[in-house]
Amino acid sequence: MTSETLTRESGTIDKVAAEEIRSVVVMTDRLRKLKKEWEDAEPQVYVDDTLLFTQSWKETEALPLDLRWAKAFAKRMEECPIQIRDGELIVGSLTKFIRGNNVTVAMKPREILAMCESGRFDRKLSDISSTAIDPEDLRKLKEDSEYWVEHMNPVNYVNEALREELGDSHFDLMFDRGMIFEGRAVRENPDRGLFQGWGAFGGGVGQPSADVINRGLNFVIARAQAEMEKMDASGAKLPGSASAALRKYYLLKSIIVECQAVITFAKRHAALARELAAKETDPTRKTELEKIAEACDRVPAEPPRDYWEAVQSLRFLHVAFWKESSDRPEVPVGRVDQILNPYYQQDLEEGALTRQQAAELLGAFWLKIRETENLVTIKREHRAAPGTLLPNVTLCGRDENDRDLTNEISWMVLEVMRQIKLSEPAVYIRYHENMDEKFVLHALECNRDFGGGNPAFLNDGLGTERYLVRGVPKYDAVNWNASGCLGYHLDCGEHMAGSFNLNQAKVLDVTLHDGFDTRTGKQLGPHTGDVSRFTTIEQFYEAWEKQEDYFADALRKHYFIWWSSEIANSPMSGLRAAMHYEDCIPAGLTSREGGARYKVCSASWVGDKGITDVGDCLAAIKYLVLDQKKVSMAELLKAMDANWEGYEDLRKMCLNAPKYGNDDDYVDDIYNHVSKRSQEILQSRPDPFTGEKPLLFKGAAAGHVTHGKAVGALPNGRFAGTPLYDGGISAMPGADTHGPTALINSATKWSHAYELAGVALNMKFSKAVLNTPEKLKKMAALVKTFNKRGGWHVQFNIHSAQELMEARKEPAAHKDLLVRVGGYSAYFVDLPPELQEEIVERTMHEVG
Amino acid sequence: MTSTKGTVFNIQRYSIDDGPGIRTTVFFKGCPLSCVWCSNPESQNLAPELMHRDSLCKRCFRCVEACPAGAITVGSDGIVIDRDLCDACGECVSTCTHDAMRITGKEMSVDEVFDVVRRDADYYRDSGGGVTLSGGEVLFQPEFALALLKRFREAGFDTCVDSSGQGDTEGLRRLIPYVDLFYFDIKHLDPKVHRAETGRTNENILRNFAEVAVSGVPLAVRVPVVPGFNDSVDAIADIAELVAVHAPRATVHLLPYHRYGQQKYAMLGLDYELAAAETPSEEFLKAARAIMESRGLACEIAV
Repeated sequence: MTSETLTRESGTIDKVAAEEIRSVVVMTDRLRKLKKEWEDAEPQVYVDDTLLFTQSWKETEALPLDLRWAKAFAKRMEECPIQIRDGELIVGSLTKFIRGNNVTVAMKPREILAMCESGRFDRKLSDISSTAIDPEDLRKLKEDSEYWVEHMNPVNYVNEALREELGDSHFDLMFDRGMIFEGRAVRENPDRGLFQGWGAFGGGVGQPSADVINRGLNFVIARAQAEMEKMDASGAKLPGSASAALRKYYLLKSIIVECQAVITFAKRHAALARELAAKETDPTRKTELEKIAEACDRVPAEPPRDYWEAVQSLRFLHVAFWKESSDRPEVPVGRVDQILNPYYQQDLEEGALTRQQAAELLGAFWLKIRETENLVTIKREHRAAPGTLLPNVTLCGRDENDRDLTNEISWMVLEVMRQIKLSEPAVYIRYHENMDEKFVLHALECNRDFGGGNPAFLNDGLGTERYLVRGVPKYDAVNWNASGCLGYHLDCGEHMAGSFNLNQAKVLDVTLHDGFDTRTGKQLGPHTGDVSRFTTIEQFYEAWEKQEDYFADALRKHYFIWWSSEIANSPMSGLRAAMHYEDCIPAGLTSREGGARYKVCSASWVGDKGITDVGDCLAAIKYLVLDQKKVSMAELLKAMDANWEGYEDLRKMCLNAPKYGNDDDYVDDIYNHVSKRSQEILQSRPDPFTGEKPLLFKGAAAGHVTHGKAVGALPNGRFAGTPLYDGGISAMPGADTHGPTALINSATKWSHAYELAGVALNMKFSKAVLNTPEKLKKMAALVKTFNKRGGWHVQFNIHSAQELMEARKEPAAHKDLLVRVGGYSAYFVDLPPELQEEIVERTMHEVG
Repeated sequence: MTSTKGTVFNIQRYSIDDGPGIRTTVFFKGCPLSCVWCSNPESQNLAPELMHRDSLCKRCFRCVEACPAGAITVGSDGIVIDRDLCDACGECVSTCTHDAMRITGKEMSVDEVFDVVRRDADYYRDSGGGVTLSGGEVLFQPEFALALLKRFREAGFDTCVDSSGQGDTEGLRRLIPYVDLFYFDIKHLDPKVHRAETGRTNENILRNFAEVAVSGVPLAVRVPVVPGFNDSVDAIADIAELVAVHAPRATVHLLPYHRYGQQKYAMLGLDYELAAAETPSEEFLKAARAIMESRGLACEIAV
């Protein structure tokens, strides 16, 4: 190819290249067929892996835990059924089904057994349909479950450690009682199985590393072997004891075992491809199969030679992590554009690849990701996650010299997303204000055509800043990606899925009752005064801060004991240590255990949910009770305790009091005060593991439903037990009536934003808001201003037909749904039925 | 000057259809015209009015008792509001627990309006946007409009005025120096037809159009394309002729008629005369655009 295809300046791609990418046909006949097969396939429960896991566990009884884990992984990689489906280019599946639900019974034996007995297997990605299971598989799965129920660890080490250190009353703060803390349903769900809490690795989650893809797993194996030889020759030289040396030795061995297992898995695919090629009569397919064989022989053991092999290597490593932690599958895909672009550019220059071919391969990879489903094993009402596997893809960002890293693959990923229309993976753009506007417009156009909130825009500067302030040098601080549910992590560490959060709405609920919890009937917090005697807002602040401080202290102890008991009792993963070989091999520890380059990598998140609710509640009290004196606090408390029954007028007054999200300083000042103070209180004590300022997280993508259940009626007009506001900085549903700029202004008035992760601003628009190039530009400007004002994460939901149908059925719940047509806008609920119908039809774009 | 007050029925932020960039649109209440197709009937009266959203009404009838004027009664299907008795006092609004009642229209000072508009200054800067005065009819409250425009100019905000053109020419002249862009409606050139459908002839509008055209302020001409009124080749060609002669550099926006305002008529207790009218065909809109373009005018069809 000529030089016009090269990136001319940082972040800007050639106009001709951009146009070519925007006109590729992702849905070729091949991908259409594969997608159709996926759509038509019935979800199936896949049991082969769990049976292999159990078999391996039985065979390794006498071995150290880390090695047992490695061997159980290797067994699955070496013996699980593999397949290459007709037409596939990128191979390597988690299960043998096109839509497969993988389970590892050892992790949740009682729950799986209950499912076997009821015959109903709920899928994580759908609340309405269950998944099928072959009768013979069901028999084997039941047998496996019965084995594990009998043999699992009878002691819940997380719970017992909490009880020993903090006493039985500590449980009153937890999930199934007072719910001051977010957390797993520890007591509702005491039998996680082999491991407790967050599963096999506590909260840590691995992901493929660009560096390891580039060097190949054989390189890492050689490094581990060299380290073992060094230990042999000159001793472990680790501080502490023989046990540290022994643990390091077994971690090194696990690295070798697990990396070799992934290579074996790849080579098995190479052999299968060759076998199929030999039988293949169609010469085109025969050539493809031969290429697949060549690629699988080469990667991920060795460095990829071309783009195809790079995609295949990324696929193998991603599926390997899924295979390894089937009970905790939120494995990010990572910075796909940064990983693949060098190979892509090289192939383009050599004329070995066209953009069309590159797009089809990427689409094939996307479909492989979407094959995987996951069973719901936690009771639905206790679930914190929204039912996704979170294979997050991150694009763009800047390097340490502030050069924009947007490249042709960044463009192509969005184009694939737009055309393939799959609900996963979610795409995150590391946005900054100097990005090429053309790319932002492309992203917004893809967002419009895709529909729901994809891609999301993250503030690149803030993401990096949070690491810089914790002493991470810039060259590493700039290398981060989105992971988990609204989280993110450094490439040189790993994602911490665990987070320890205060239920802020509940803290307020307790504050308004002088430390008493109406749910448990117990005095959970200190006595901070009868609020009906308070005459100033400062008195409310003071009482709330005392409660906040008390619970923040309890939360920190809770975090320390929970997390350390997880680390002490769960295995170290060789595969994950392999991704950070440079640090983890000499340290003899995985990232979470402290083997990473920076302390911040071994800390979990501390945070809260519901602080926006608190702002609105205190604003309603200030407005109605203290300023306007329309009602006494005693009367308001009575109404809340009656869950507003017989107090409908008062509830309406509360609903009409100033609400966050409308750029109204009256309430925003109160919100800012409590938000800032709660942050200061949560960060007033150092992280118990790193000694550094705790990492804050305000994720409330779904936990707002479970948390809301424990909270009584509140002064913002909310009913008892109903969900809290979602997203961490979203407004009360339907209460932000002044449009997107007002909501953004409310969300970005604070000056302490750089410390907050997990806050997502969800904005809803109708398609008409993005239907011309000019309007796309206006949306791009909106993203820019959001970013410049210090906003962290924004995503746009373009109304789906389903939402509009719901609005037709339930107008009261959708009063804020604004529909724009031409130079005129209307509330959807105000439109006559036939026009609603028309708009529903116009908006119809389904996403699978 | 800033103590000047006016009546506004809505201030819409993130307004993206009323001029360049992200804008805030201040909708003036009160209009001397009464176009049968008007999609904002709440903008016609200068006085505040009660709007009832029947889709949210739960038939609790608490508003009936709350109304001090006795303007609300129970009808065969929901409530009935006697518009002659209602003085928009708002008692029913605070009584209704379902948000089915709303008062449209509010007297505001220049300072109060400015306090809303200034809040989006960051967005104007990043998008090349600003503030738009619309209506109702801006020229119906010329002192208020002038005071606002001066205030916006001082703050450095881009200004746009969206007008039907009906109003005192002297009042318009005083606004012109403070306007960065005019959106000017031209509906029909035949004064009789004009009067039949809008309640007024068009002499005053055409005079004001010439005034704006010679001022040199950038201008976009907006033509609502309404079936049975001006959806004929002749009517469109007349408008093209006018614009080509007076304002050859103006862009023409064709705004196809739609019925989205229909429900608002019911909410205000008004009859909707155009209930049977259809949206103009795409074919006709394209033909209309071709006519504009044949006169050398830039033309866009609003979507």
